[in-house]
Parts: sequence; C-alpha cells; structure tokens
Amino acid sequence: MQDAPNVEGAGAPRGRAGGFTDWLPGAARRRRTVGDAMIRTFEGWGYGMVATPLIEPLDTVSSGVGAAKQTQLFRFMDADGALLALVGERTVSVARVVATQLRDGPYPLRLCYAGPVLRNQPPLGGRRRENLQAGCELIGAACIAADAECVALAAEALARAGLDGVQVDVGHADFLPGLLEGAGLDAADRDRVLAALSGRDLVAVEEALEGTPIGETERALLLRFPALRGGREILDAAAQGLRAERPRRALAELAQLWDLLMAHGLDGHLHLDLGAVRDWDYYTGPTFELFSGELGFPLGTGGRYDGLLERFGLPLPATGFVLHVDRCCDALARRSGEAAVPLPPALRVAYAAGGEAMAIRAATVLRGPGAAVACDLEPSDAPPPGADLFVDADGGARWWDGKRWADATTAEAVAALAVNGNAGARTAGRQALPAGRPGGGPRG
Amino acid sequence: MTGLCIAVPNGALLAGACELLAAAGIDGVAASHFDDALLVEIGGHRLIKVRPTDAPVYVQMGAADCGIVGKDMLWETPHDSYELVDLRFGGCRLVLAAPEDSPLAAGTWPPALRVATKYPRSARTFFDRINVTTELIKLHGSVELAPATGLADAILDIVATGRTLRANRLVEVAEAGRSTARFIVNQASLKTRSEAVTALAAGLRRAVTDRAAPRAAEGVA
Repeated sequence: MQDAPNVEGAGAPRGRAGGFTDWLPGAARRRRTVGDAMIRTFEGWGYGMVATPLIEPLDTVSSGVGAAKQTQLFRFMDADGALLALVGERTVSVARVVATQLRDGPYPLRLCYAGPVLRNQPPLGGRRRENLQAGCELIGAACIAADAECVALAAEALARAGLDGVQVDVGHADFLPGLLEGAGLDAADRDRVLAALSGRDLVAVEEALEGTPIGETERALLLRFPALRGGREILDAAAQGLRAERPRRALAELAQLWDLLMAHGLDGHLHLDLGAVRDWDYYTGPTFELFSGELGFPLGTGGRYDGLLERFGLPLPATGFVLHVDRCCDALARRSGEAAVPLPPALRVAYAAGGEAMAIRAATVLRGPGAAVACDLEPSDAPPPGADLFVDADGGARWWDGKRWADATTAEAVAALAVNGNAGARTAGRQALPAGRPGGGPRG
Repeated sequence: MTGLCIAVPNGALLAGACELLAAAGIDGVAASHFDDALLVEIGGHRLIKVRPTDAPVYVQMGAADCGIVGKDMLWETPHDSYELVDLRFGGCRLVLAAPEDSPLAAGTWPPALRVATKYPRSARTFFDRINVTTELIKLHGSVELAPATGLADAILDIVATGRTLRANRLVEVAEAGRSTARFIVNQASLKTRSEAVTALAAGLRRAVTDRAAPRAAEGVA
C-alpha cells in the first residue's frame, strides 16, 4: 500500500467547486473539436451563429423552459438591485434577441449558438453544474418540415462530431394532453395525470386515472406508457378508437414528420415515442431526444415551442434543439475507451546561442502551412534529443530526418521539414498527455 | 436480448426484490447470492446490491439500467428515472408522530412546530400541502429521541409496524405518505434497451398480480 502523496504547500487555496470540471489538454481539445464540428454543421445548413450573454435578467431567464428548474439558477444582484441569473439554457436568450434586434427577420430565421450554461444543482450528486451546449433555433415556420429539419440536423451534427448511429426518439407534446381532453377529463384531473406523467411515475398515473371517466381505449393507451414506442405502424394502432380531433392531429403530424425524416436518411435510427414526457408548459408540438448506448442521459433534446416568442411580444412559431457537448464527450470517451484525444505532435525547434533570431524565423515559416511548432526558450550547446531542427549561430542548421541529424542551411532544413511536415516529426507520442482519469469528474 | 444492470437494495427489501425478479424470469436469483458478493451475474444480467438510499443514484446516473427501490427513497432524491411498476411489497408509511401526552397528540396544532426528520424533502412537501409552518431539523437516525430530549416537538418518520413509536411513547398524528417498493428505469435505458426493460417490467407486473391473486381469494373466503 502506498502512502498518500505528501503535497507541498498544504493549506494553499487549491480547491475546485463541486460539480465543475477542469478539461485537461487532450480532453479540452476533444470538447472543442466536438463543439466546432456541431457549429460547422449548423452553418452548413444555413444557420447563423449568435453569441448571447452568460448573464441575463432573472425575469428573462424565467420566461424560458423548465420553470420548475428556477431553483437551480445561480442568481445575484446587479448594482441597482435588479436580479440577475447565469443562464441555465440559451433558447430564451435567442428568443429575446429575435423579439428585439432581429424582429424584422427575414423569416424563417435560422440561428445557432454555443456556450456554457449553469445549473446550481447540489454538489455531490455527480452532475455537472457547468455544461457546454450547442443548439439551433428555427423561428417563424409552423410547418412539420421545420421540425424535420431540426431533428435531422441534430442527428447530423452528432454524427459529424463523431457520434454516428445515435437513436432518435420522436414524440408529440400535444398527444397526451389532447388524449386526456378528448377522453372527457376535467382540467383538474388532466393536471393530476399530466403531473404524474411528467414525474415519470406510471404508478401515480394509474392512481390519478382512478375515478375519472376515461374510456378503455385511452386508458389502455396511457397505461401502455411508456411502451408506446415503435415505428410508423404504432400511429395507426394508436389512432384506432380515438375519436377526438386533438390527439388525432398530433398523430397525423407525426406521420408527416416520419416520412420527411426518412427522406433525411434517418431510417433505422428513428423511433416514435408517444409516451415521451416533456415540459408541457413549454413544448407545443413534435419533440425529440437523441441517445447513444453509452450514456444514461440524452445527448440532445428539442422540439416545437410556439408559445415562447409570444412571451417576448412577438407571437411566432418556433422549433429548435440543444446538444449537450460535455455529455457527447463522455459518450466519445466511453466509446473509444480513451479519456482524451492525442494532441497533434509539435515540431521542436532548438538553437545554439546566437541562433535565436533565425530559429524564431524558422518556426514562423514552418507554422505557415499549419504545422504545430514549439520553439525552445533557451539555447542548447548541441542538438537536444527530441528536437527536429537545430539552428547554429552561423546560419547553418541540422534537422532530424527520422534516423539521424542531417546538415543543411537553415532554409534547406526548414524546406525539408515542411515537406515531411508533422508526419516526419519524431515527436509523435513524445508529448505525453496529462490524461484525465476516466470517471473522475462529474457527468450529466 | 441485451443484459441489464439491475440495482437491488440491501436490507429489508433484498429478499422480496430477489423473489420478484426470479418470478419475473431471472431464474434462480436469491438473496443468498449476495451473502458475500456485491455484484452477481445471472441469466445474462448483472445484479448489484447497493444501499437503499443509493439505488436511485445508480439508476439516475445510468450506472445501473434499472433497479428496485422503496418509494420513500424516491421522495428524497430528485431524479429523471421512470417509475414503471408498483411492486406492492416493502410497504411502510411516512407519519407525523408526537409524544402521547402532547397537545399535538390531542389534536391541537401549536403555532410553531419543530419537527425532526430524516426526510426533509418529503416533510417540506407535506407541511406545504397542509399549510403548516414548521422548523425542520434534519437527523440521520434514531429520530424518536428528538421529542424525548426536547430537540423537537414531533417527528416525521417511516413506520412499518408502529412498534418503535409505541416503545418511545409517541402516537401518530397524521399520515404524510405511503411507500412500497418500485421498479425504476434510467431515462436513456428505457429508450436504448427498451425491449429488455419492458420485458422485465411486464414480468414483474405479472409476478405482482399473480402474488396478489391468491391473497385476494383468501380474503374473500
């Protein structure tokens, strides 16, 4: 058994707040690559990036999704006493921007964003309190084609980020509320059943249905929740015996969405999930979630939210989604078994005393074509092991060709290394990554 | 069918959980398997034995696909898991209890009430519902001692038989909730391993109904 390492400077302020993550070089690189791939995909579909503040007035944040999560906001006070909050999601910020500065369109308006969001969940739960999210909002289009575009784009962005073959579950926020209304439940009963459903508590759903006038067809459908899953065929099965207009319209929209998503190439990855339970105060139409087999949380969620813009004085339909970049990194780490991706090998330029200026110029030239180059900070007497280029004081140079040091002028050596590029660098694998311990940080 | 990771709670619910899982089709599972193991592979599934309070955490975080857990544990742990089946065993009640000679026991609610409990979230929900203002004191065990020592006026605690209350000269004032064992499933596992999970849920539901049926018949006779 080893003793715990004896650290110097005990008592120094070295703590990290619970639920927050330090992303070390290889892991941070993956996180950036994943986020970049998503944004590039969004832009490739015609979405313009907006960047919104990390801090919003509390009443702006409160207009958004998850009013129930109000207690999980980091809040504080502005100089004038106004209440502020760190954003817990960014759709509401985009909605604010659209309703103010981008009011005049042109519609449909395609916007995307990426940035951190914060949730003040109690620490020690293993959940992250800061998460990087990337998402899209498609505003001003009420048609199912807009919903289909968002679902397909979300799946495509995950694939481009390295997570191909994710499972897409599509539901409809109006199906269950419509079903309950059509079954003749009064508002109080409906609220009770919907509360049980959004608590994901089937036992409570069963209890809440006791003594209501619900018919056998609807009851059977509800109690099959959340097994109301499958392909397009479940839509016909569900429609049988349902006479009310509202749930039937939801099913018809899902049929249309299904067909469009086949055209988008999602065959084999798509599931309909009529029992999908989402925030009914917020979502108004088709909703979706994306899962990979590696993780106990969805990688992305989205749906139609036709009521939000109205809260900002601009009644416009909208649909969109958010991808959880950090969860995607968790899934990639599990898929590959690697906590971090390797950093690109950097060429190392060393020099003798007096060769410094030439070495700096050589490094600049080599970086031109995109090579990663690290220039030594102090001169060496002789070519140090691990260097790729050694610049002498007299303009001469030596470069490592993979086996031995070759003499050349500095210009010749730079040209040779530029041709070989980083492939010729013997630095591959030399720069040992300070790899994060898998599972060491918070998740979700 | 892909194998599932199933969390079962140590303690009072373990035997019942194993019986039901066996009846639901995981052949041969028995509590004795866990005598000297925390992780058992059986019928293509992995079963892990965890503390009852930890079971919702394993399932929430996806470390287990599903689990058996007392409803009382779910009251205290916010979660996104799906609660699919009432397993109808391990029943207990959450009650407000006060010393038998106290005004509260006689039906007089004092204007300011101090309540000791291991279940602060449930307590908050209950007192909000009945609109009673209380000062809650969170304890980790032996809550019954709090009124006797003057720490609190009353306790909110889980009661199975009522023996502990009687032994400490406490009487039930109100019921705050009823708990039984539940079958819960991680939100992603429900979607990505839905065949295996729904099959197990159906098996459990069947086992629970089969079990209830003979008893109901006895009741009639």
